[in-house]
Amino acid sequence: MNSRFSWFNVTSIVLGFAFLYIPILLLVIYSFNDSKLVTVWGGWSTKWYSGLLQNDALLDAAWVTLRVALVSATVATILGTLAAIVLVRMGRFRGRTLFSGLVFAPLVMPEVITGLSLLLLFVALGFDRGYWTVTIAHATFAMCFAAVVVQSRLHDFDKSVEEAAMDLGAPPVRTFFEVTLPIIAPAVISAWLLAFTLSLDDLVIASFTTGPGATTLPIKIYSQVRLGVTPEINAISTVMIGFVTIGVLVASYMTKRQSAMRERETRAVDQGAA
Amino acid sequence: MAGNASVAEAAAKPAAYTPASRTPAPQSNFAPWKDPAKNPIVRFENVTKRFGDFVAIKDCTLDIYEREFFALLGPSGCGKSTLLRMLAGFEKPTEGRIFVNGKDITDLAPYERTDVNMMFQSYALFPHMTVERNIGFGLRQDGMEKSAIEARVAEAMALLELGKFAQRKPHQLSGGQQQRVALARAIAKKPRIMLLDEPLGALDKRLRQQAQFELMRIQETTGTTFVIVTHDQEEAMTVASRIAVMNHGELAHIATPGEIYEFPGSRYVANFIGDVNIFEGKVSAIDGNDVTIDWPSGNDSFTAQGSAGLTIGQQVWLAMRPEKVRIFQTKPTEACNAIPGKVVDVGYLGSISHYHVKVASGQQVTALRANAAQTVEHNIKWDDDVWLEWPYDAGMILTK
Repeated sequence: MNSRFSWFNVTSIVLGFAFLYIPILLLVIYSFNDSKLVTVWGGWSTKWYSGLLQNDALLDAAWVTLRVALVSATVATILGTLAAIVLVRMGRFRGRTLFSGLVFAPLVMPEVITGLSLLLLFVALGFDRGYWTVTIAHATFAMCFAAVVVQSRLHDFDKSVEEAAMDLGAPPVRTFFEVTLPIIAPAVISAWLLAFTLSLDDLVIASFTTGPGATTLPIKIYSQVRLGVTPEINAISTVMIGFVTIGVLVASYMTKRQSAMRERETRAVDQGAA
Repeated sequence: MAGNASVAEAAAKPAAYTPASRTPAPQSNFAPWKDPAKNPIVRFENVTKRFGDFVAIKDCTLDIYEREFFALLGPSGCGKSTLLRMLAGFEKPTEGRIFVNGKDITDLAPYERTDVNMMFQSYALFPHMTVERNIGFGLRQDGMEKSAIEARVAEAMALLELGKFAQRKPHQLSGGQQQRVALARAIAKKPRIMLLDEPLGALDKRLRQQAQFELMRIQETTGTTFVIVTHDQEEAMTVASRIAVMNHGELAHIATPGEIYEFPGSRYVANFIGDVNIFEGKVSAIDGNDVTIDWPSGNDSFTAQGSAGLTIGQQVWLAMRPEKVRIFQTKPTEACNAIPGKVVDVGYLGSISHYHVKVASGQQVTALRANAAQTVEHNIKWDDDVWLEWPYDAGMILTK
């Protein structure tokens, strides 16, 4: 038992967490700083938060980010779910390996390259860069994450449940909406939340594909920071951290609840059999 | 099963005594497959199914008749599930046609096959629906009226005694209850043909025996044709009116349980259904029905009842059920088949004992004896020299 709390383990955990979270903690604390100087503590205040509400440029950026995230997450989830269904359900078709490779490649593709290639595409097609190009770009790279999440759920989904629905007279489309979708819904929701979060804090791809009038919050923050960090930035960053944390927590809660439920089901079956 | 038939014969005679505990089975005279005027409800016509290079079903032709309880029996991978899934519409035959009630359904999708419903091995219940909604699912797909659906669901739940679980979700049910919900869900659609894919495989032995009789009761009350896939030969023997034994995608033998047990068509079937002793030999003489078989490895010969079509010198196998082999301590007089041996193993099971006897050829022959006398002194023991004897009509001559 003692070995679990050896000085080595404790030190590595403390150092690891400190490395990860002290910067974030500092940022959150300094967002409540009364002083205008970012690095000097001048007492508690929420004035930067109320200041945010007057900063139209930041609010605009936040609004753009939110719209991009909502639309791109929805598109990414739909496409990702479809891709996952094809990969898991269609069996071995010609080009399956290539297809799955293409779906999952963006996971490991450097963002700079994804961003650059999308930029080239939009230029070649003559698209005006702006809100829609960012949305399309985000949907593209978030889709593969959504596909992974849904695919893992579909893998341990008993295919005979769908067969039973068809056997009982439901055509494939109705089977999908009445049986498959309700069962995989938690995975689809966590895929959406993941895609939403990814879009919310993406800087690289957005800065490649955006145009005038469609500045997202991360771009705005980044450009302001280059002129010097203000406590206002700390405040908006804290708000974003809050959003992302909630998103991740809800997503992981859904996944956990789902697997707990599945476990309970299996246990019930086992008990019945025993 | 042969016993059943004789009970039924006895019952047919007026004033014949029938033991109260054994009322004759109502279906004992049920044999539509013998009636050439009857049309089968299911017909597989030269059906072949290939998955890539693998041949799952090899040129299978099979008729199943209305109200039959038909069992597809075989080891795993023999193609029995594929055959069932082709009938449900989940697999398409590579060659051949499938008819239901005279109509070619080969190209129909599962949801277009209204005469057929299936119960899955995994039960495949919808986890997000209550028992009630699970059972009503198929009826809602048909666009039935709400009140009619409710009545049907209630009927199905009553048939399977599920009333008190109506509002439960599948994960709140035991395995046996889930199995009944799965059955109710399929039966609620009142199909003409009910397909059951290893329906009792997930239940423990005691529950399984109960469920077998439940299946038979439901099959009889609803008058539905049941086609069941199973690897459990006891289950097939218990429930089925006819059994098709399958081997490597081929139908090895189709017959009633009794016929399959007493007159199997091949060594494979004899081995698969029950225990059997097999002696390899050659026909040396044929005298009417009496066939003499030389048994070179044991340096002996046997007489047995033969069927037509045997020729002298033909290689045959004499198969014998252990319960038909009698065991003696001294050489029986006037026995037509008797061979000496040494007891190598005795299995005492209470009601019966198994004796494993090593005979001259070196093979082990199993004899079964009912322990009729109430004693713990069993006179035949390990290493005893014994004689095995069987009458001439106890063995079956198999040619393949």
